[in-house]
Amino acid sequence: MGPSAGEVAIATELDIVAVRRCVRHVAVGLGFGATDTTRILTAASELARNVYQYAGGGVMGWRALADGGRAGIELVFTDHGPGIPDVAEALTPGYSTSRGLGLGLPGARRLMGEMEIASRPSQGTTVTVRKWLGGP
Amino acid sequence: MAGERISVVRVRDTLLVSVPSDPDDGTVAALQDEVLRAMERHEARGVVMDISTVETLDSFFARTIAETADMISLMGGRTVIAGMRPSVAITITQLGLTLGRPQTALDVDRALDLLEERTPEAADGPERR
Repeated sequence: MGPSAGEVAIATELDIVAVRRCVRHVAVGLGFGATDTTRILTAASELARNVYQYAGGGVMGWRALADGGRAGIELVFTDHGPGIPDVAEALTPGYSTSRGLGLGLPGARRLMGEMEIASRPSQGTTVTVRKWLGGP
Repeated sequence: MAGERISVVRVRDTLLVSVPSDPDDGTVAALQDEVLRAMERHEARGVVMDISTVETLDSFFARTIAETADMISLMGGRTVIAGMRPSVAITITQLGLTLGRPQTALDVDRALDLLEERTPEAADGPERR
């Protein structure tokens, strides 16, 4: 049985692909189907890109989850960037920054099912997402 | 993976762009460049973007496709996206992404048929000639 947790550094643009590759491997290994794997990958790509573009880098940690009989995946994106001044606003569907499509946070939450955000202006942000096999 | 090639091939007077399965951001950005240059070189009537091997289409990729289609339209061409996987269609809809003006087709064959139709489609940008 392989590792049940790991980390991917996000420092360069190419690390966004590294995040996708890692997450695909983990998601498929946990038994997520094609569509759910695509959802997880897309959410991970969005969140990794946020870390790279808005915070100048950070790290993604992943963890295999087991709760009673069900399995899941947890991804934690941590950076020490400018932080999100208004988390509630950022979670509003349609919120956008000057870059256009915005932080993608509401979308990522929709794709994954569970999301928690901790952020302090000028200190950094931690975004945690989880998805369970077989639905929320 | 750095250095993934995007293949741009002329098929009659359209361009067939084959997108690799997991292009990095640099490759996606290069796609725009290569397609527009090929449009100019071949005076193509349109572009088929074959995304049948693409597994993940995030907001950066979607935005690049939409932008590229706008630029193709400014150059007098039309864009058809071919081969979108069901999981990608589901995901980008849930994410609220739009690909902009391009039509979509189930596969490259149907995409080429679409581009060869003589009947002008509504809201497709300037007509050639």
